[in-house]
Amino acid sequence: MEEHRSSGGKFSWPPRLPKWGLRDRTNFRIGMLFLLPWTIGFLVFTLYPMVASLVYSFSIYHSRAPLEWVGLQNYADMLKDDLFWKSLSNTLYMVAIGVPLTLLASFLCAVLLNLKVRGQAFYRVVYFLPSIVPTVASTILWLWILNPQGGILNTLLHQVGIDGPNWMSNPLWAKPGLIILGMWGMGGTIVIYLSGLQDVPLSLLESAELDGASWWQRLWNVTVPMVSPITLFNLITGVIAMFQYFAQAYVFRGSHGLGYPLNSTLFYSVYLYQNGFLWLKMGYASALAWVLFIIILVCTLLLLKISDRFTYYAG
Amino acid sequence: MKKIHAVIAIIILAGMVLSACGGAPAATQAPAAATEAPAQPAADAKVLRVWIQWGDNPQQIQALFDKYTALSGVKVEVTAPVEPEKLLPALTGSEPPDILVLSGGDLVKSYHKEKLVAELTEIVKTGGIDLTDFYPAPLAACQSGDQILCLPWGTDVYALFWNKDMFEAAGLDPNTPPKTMEELVQFSEKLTKVSADGTIEQVGFLPDQAWSHSPDIYLRMYGGFWFSEDATKLTANSQPVLDALQWQQQFYTKYGADKMLAFSSGWGDAYMSADYPFYTGKLAMYVDGEWMTGPNFISKFKPEASYGVAAFPPPADHPERASTATVSGTVVVVPEGGQNKDAAAKLLAWMMSPAVVAEEFCFNANLPTSKKAAEDKCFTENPKFKVFLDIMASPNAKPIITTPVSLEFIDAWGVVEEQVLHTGADPKPLLDQLQADFEPKLADALK
Repeated sequence: MEEHRSSGGKFSWPPRLPKWGLRDRTNFRIGMLFLLPWTIGFLVFTLYPMVASLVYSFSIYHSRAPLEWVGLQNYADMLKDDLFWKSLSNTLYMVAIGVPLTLLASFLCAVLLNLKVRGQAFYRVVYFLPSIVPTVASTILWLWILNPQGGILNTLLHQVGIDGPNWMSNPLWAKPGLIILGMWGMGGTIVIYLSGLQDVPLSLLESAELDGASWWQRLWNVTVPMVSPITLFNLITGVIAMFQYFAQAYVFRGSHGLGYPLNSTLFYSVYLYQNGFLWLKMGYASALAWVLFIIILVCTLLLLKISDRFTYYAG
Repeated sequence: MKKIHAVIAIIILAGMVLSACGGAPAATQAPAAATEAPAQPAADAKVLRVWIQWGDNPQQIQALFDKYTALSGVKVEVTAPVEPEKLLPALTGSEPPDILVLSGGDLVKSYHKEKLVAELTEIVKTGGIDLTDFYPAPLAACQSGDQILCLPWGTDVYALFWNKDMFEAAGLDPNTPPKTMEELVQFSEKLTKVSADGTIEQVGFLPDQAWSHSPDIYLRMYGGFWFSEDATKLTANSQPVLDALQWQQQFYTKYGADKMLAFSSGWGDAYMSADYPFYTGKLAMYVDGEWMTGPNFISKFKPEASYGVAAFPPPADHPERASTATVSGTVVVVPEGGQNKDAAAKLLAWMMSPAVVAEEFCFNANLPTSKKAAEDKCFTENPKFKVFLDIMASPNAKPIITTPVSLEFIDAWGVVEEQVLHTGADPKPLLDQLQADFEPKLADALK
């Protein structure tokens, strides 16, 4: 047992806490009362469903009959399930390509929007606006933009001599189409980068300029390291969001089945939804959810671990 | 004393939080029954809840059920349309709707297996529902052995639509549709236009357009289906299934799947608009349901359209399969957890009465499942709609065969069909794989 040193220098267990007066106790109770709504919400709507889904993941779920305990069967089935691997690889594609591309684009946009030019506020509003458009509406809009016949994007590509691909029904191009769609709504990430750019000390930039550093050198050697904590934040939230990618894929298939074309947009969360709510395999869906939770947890911890190498905290 | 106050405050606060977060079912409870006579038998319920999966016009549906209220004094609260993801939580919850109207019967066997919906034999007896008034095919889709798992309430069949102007322009008789599936292929070639650079400008027939392949009319025409007639065996790699896929594939391979897809995916989701390719002269023939002949589709979006409707043609060597069709559509189930089963039985009987069926499905232009309702002028006066009525009454009209794995299977089938049609893949190994994947799943589900 670990021993604690009391204020008097003697060792005692349990440690003695300072005595609370009446006011302290009242404050504590009132504080707890204010915390109660959140606590109840957390227990009932987060913790209980999580624990329940963990239990379900080891069973075949029957809504009006007792659970059938199957041990690790659901997890073992995943290993043999082609659609599980397909959905995981589709999701990893989006995480590995979509997230870095979006980060890069939003950083560059933020740098441009940080330039002291006339109409700066207007440009910032323009870039932020798409991010407040509801996901379903923006996805439907992009279905028109990506339409292979008469869509704006392919029409523009045609103008420069490129035969635009069939974004919606070619399995090779469906995910890139979704990434472009996602980049259109990156206003939130841009705003976070902008706030980071405001914090880059002018003195450093001016010193670099006096030393003869070019615009590019100042950006690469001063700005990028200074906003690296912001990059880490955007990276982690972007990765988590991408692992849970659902709404755009759900709408993007149009009147076709989930995953159209050829399961190329069958992302992990879409497959989880399909199992749980369409095929009534709630136990298997719960196991899928827990595997996703573990994947996200591991990825986040890995990113935090390796972030030491590229993140600079000025403080 | 202070402690008592604190405890009371906590209880009140907790109650407020729970009631705020719990999606209070205030509007969906039966306040009259609950407050005036809590011990009343279920048959005297004053409020019944009906959930309907479809419903472009909820006011019209509510107005229909208000007529039941006027007759019986029982208030009926209609929720329509209900999104598919709400069905499972509702059925498993403590207060499911008293009656649930589903767009299709695909999930009914799964729901019944999970004890989510009631077997209806007793309810049919209690309500005095006349089963002989139902068309056999849609009713059969609701039966499993001796059990009645649902009742059809309006249904759908599918037929061939052709654009007469495009037929005329291609030198075909505008009043004569193809008589066989082989002739349909020839007609399609005459009706397809390809520009000098290989771009497709007009298509004769597209086998997977709209509702043409779900449920699959082509399988039935080739004499098979995904499942055996008794729904106990998977026949995914049987010869009829293979033949049907190969027949569909030729429409893509002849002109190049990429070019066909570039052409068809450009139409977007124009089903309910004047831009639909059948109206704009881009698609000459396709398969669709009876509702297209009603007031809400062709006559609304392209009133001047000159088109014909006929039963889908059979293969040349099987003329006896004329008017073969799979009947599938709306079904009504009674959730197992419903608290007012007797009252629900009475409402169900009213819903199934010929006058109510006629009123609702005249409005929606769907096929009435009641034979007496089908005599209503609104169904028989429209010769194009009559084509569908005749198909449903044909002995070749078959119920859709469903199993507890139907939905999962149909999703997998969709991918196989995509691979065959859109990438030119050989269907045989894909069907063998599909059979190998789902045979154990079906066996497992039927245990």
